Amino acid sequence: MAKELRKKALAGVELEMRQMLKYVIRRVLYMVPTVFGVILITFALFNMAGGDPALMRLGKQAAADTMEAYDVQRGLNKPLFAGMWGRTRAYEATDFSVNAGSWSKLEGVEYAGRAKGYIVLSKTGEYEADRRLPLNPGEDYQWVVKCRLSNQGNARFLVKEGDTELASVQIPESRSFRTLRIPFVAGASEASLRSLIVIKAGSLDVTDIKIQRRVRHIFDSQFVFYISQILRFDFGVSDETNQRVSKMIKDGILPSLALTAPMFLVGLITAIVVSLICAYMRNTFLDRFFVVFSILLMSINYLVWIILGQYLFAYRLHWFPIWGFESMRFLVLPAIIGVISGLGSNIRFYRTVILDEMYCDYVRTALAKGVSKPSLLFKHVLKNAMIPILTSVVIAIPFLYTGSLLLETFFGIPGLGSMSINAINSSDFDVIRAVVFVGAMIYVVANLLTDICYAAVDPRVKLK
Amino acid sequence: MSIEDNKKKHGKTLYADAWSSIRRDKLSMASLVVIVFFMLTALYGTCIYWRYNIIDAESPQMLKPLKVVVEKVLMADRVKGQVAPYQRQDLDNRYMSPSVSHVMGTDSLGRDVFQRLVQGSRIAFQVGVITSLIAIPIAVLLGCIAGYFGGWVDDVIVWLYSTFACMPTLLFIISISMVIGKGLTGVYIGIGFTTWVHLCRLIRGEVMKRKDQTYVRAAQVLGYSHARIIFRHILPNIMHIIIINFSLRFPSAIQTEVILSFLGIGAQSEPSWGLMINSARFRLWYGVWWELTFTTLAILAIVLAFNLLGDALRDALDPRLREVER
Repeated sequence: MAKELRKKALAGVELEMRQMLKYVIRRVLYMVPTVFGVILITFALFNMAGGDPALMRLGKQAAADTMEAYDVQRGLNKPLFAGMWGRTRAYEATDFSVNAGSWSKLEGVEYAGRAKGYIVLSKTGEYEADRRLPLNPGEDYQWVVKCRLSNQGNARFLVKEGDTELASVQIPESRSFRTLRIPFVAGASEASLRSLIVIKAGSLDVTDIKIQRRVRHIFDSQFVFYISQILRFDFGVSDETNQRVSKMIKDGILPSLALTAPMFLVGLITAIVVSLICAYMRNTFLDRFFVVFSILLMSINYLVWIILGQYLFAYRLHWFPIWGFESMRFLVLPAIIGVISGLGSNIRFYRTVILDEMYCDYVRTALAKGVSKPSLLFKHVLKNAMIPILTSVVIAIPFLYTGSLLLETFFGIPGLGSMSINAINSSDFDVIRAVVFVGAMIYVVANLLTDICYAAVDPRVKLK
Repeated sequence: MSIEDNKKKHGKTLYADAWSSIRRDKLSMASLVVIVFFMLTALYGTCIYWRYNIIDAESPQMLKPLKVVVEKVLMADRVKGQVAPYQRQDLDNRYMSPSVSHVMGTDSLGRDVFQRLVQGSRIAFQVGVITSLIAIPIAVLLGCIAGYFGGWVDDVIVWLYSTFACMPTLLFIISISMVIGKGLTGVYIGIGFTTWVHLCRLIRGEVMKRKDQTYVRAAQVLGYSHARIIFRHILPNIMHIIIINFSLRFPSAIQTEVILSFLGIGAQSEPSWGLMINSARFRLWYGVWWELTFTTLAILAIVLAFNLLGDALRDALDPRLREVER
């Protein structure tokens, strides 16, 4: 008899475990699109909208090979999402709506002006594009030329190496601009390679001329490069410090946590205690006072807390060191400031949560049963209010990791916060991208863990 | 039941009811006064700004007549070529403590702090309004569509906002404004495109709750288009959520702008409150207290007023919450 019962109980446990496993797997699968979305957003933000990083970082005067190396290291010489053709800086890609670039140096080239945005090759003869870097022998390249040839004109685009012609394309006459593609393979005697526009008659207007490099396959793109980087936990190299970003994050996370973790815990406990008092003293003067007081705390700008706190307690009263990160003593003032500045919104939130719970039926039942008010609050209400409180705690975890941007900068704590601010000041995109990405990932994982905890506590969740 | 029907039956709309309950509350009336005061200040700041800048401002052909009218109204030709009062430097009168000629003292270049503060409130209001104009339409549109149609549309929109919700807020805003370029435009877009998530989630939930109610069913039976049902029938009934959200997003947008400008990403040459705090913080150590104090007080006053009013509005407009409060 007893054996059978045990068997049944075991079967029940097994069923529950299986259900739980199913739920966890389903929940992890739900995570995939979100993670993909985060990758997509960070990619779109920094790779697509950010302009030309090499140009921004190295400046206009940078040598072509430096810029090429920068591109190669960060995969920027590939197409964005998918495609066969990537970028090379072997030839200047001039934006004719700004100026004529190196083309203006050639004889017979006239610039039609910014408004028109093209150059005119008016004389007969050969025009050679200005090469800055050797092409890689054996690789596929193509010229993309958007041009129009005047009536009765005769011109061709010629790529030759020594005396052998690699490609030769006759340019058709046309009234409107047409795009020509001239593919060729760079040969072994690359040094003698010349790309020429040969005009025998007429004049040629060129609005765009650039060279592209063929990538290995259609998905050899920046996006895939980024994803493969992420899978290897490699976030590239900081422009500013030349360190690996992953190492910088690893180094910064401890000082950040040393500040934020105690700050968070103390803040949480204070806020819950105060909001319990508020709930206990519902509708008394004290409660009203705390409500208005918490709004007041919320309304004072974060910056002001830091500036005044540092000025008053560190500079004026000498209670704490002003700046630095040598011992725990240096963390006390920033932590206090952090607690106070977050207190307002926390009190408000927890008070609402606890009051929401106070109007449930079970509370009324307990009251009617004669449970004393303190034990009602602490034993019944707080226990049930723990679920929203835990959610808010978990959601706050990613912020622990980011640290406090401003606190760390003001007090010289070498954590992720001050690292981010430095990166912002020096436009170090790779670092910011990595910090944003890792922060988002921690949030996703924290959310997953809360949901699993819920499911473990509340069996109804699993069946949804 | 539309608001008009409600009025006939009960005599008082939700909004009239809310207004009377706000009018009874001294604290929220005081906040309202403060907000109106700052609004007027911002308006005054706008007038000053344009009076000194409109002649040099480039405008498209279409707006030329408007420009001429504004120039006339502000009498911009009288101050042609002069530097605006908030930029006027007076190196002999640097660091003057508050006096009759400079009510709030002067800063490190002898510029009048009061005038700069006025411009700061102009920028604060611009930030609040423009970011709301970006975020609220996104949130309303996406939230209504997701809640009303459900299915894969809902899935896509939920995916979109849960992805946005994952991003670390302040860093995300900073990254966007950095990519857009330093300046207020980056701040508007950065805040605008990140703060729609919360409202969108609320609206989606509300619309989902309402789309099966009889008044929506009736509208569907009458053959009204989806757009009409959403915007003429459902939206007016959830308008209060948008109003509450607006009044609470305003102060947080102001606070964020202050931090961004402080970090050097926001306003560049215009006197934003964040820039003022940044330039004043070191001088505090040398006893120049007025710049920081008045800026801080201004931020505190406007943010506090909005928070208090937003709270009062929520209590007044959200009947569910009101029941709980009783």
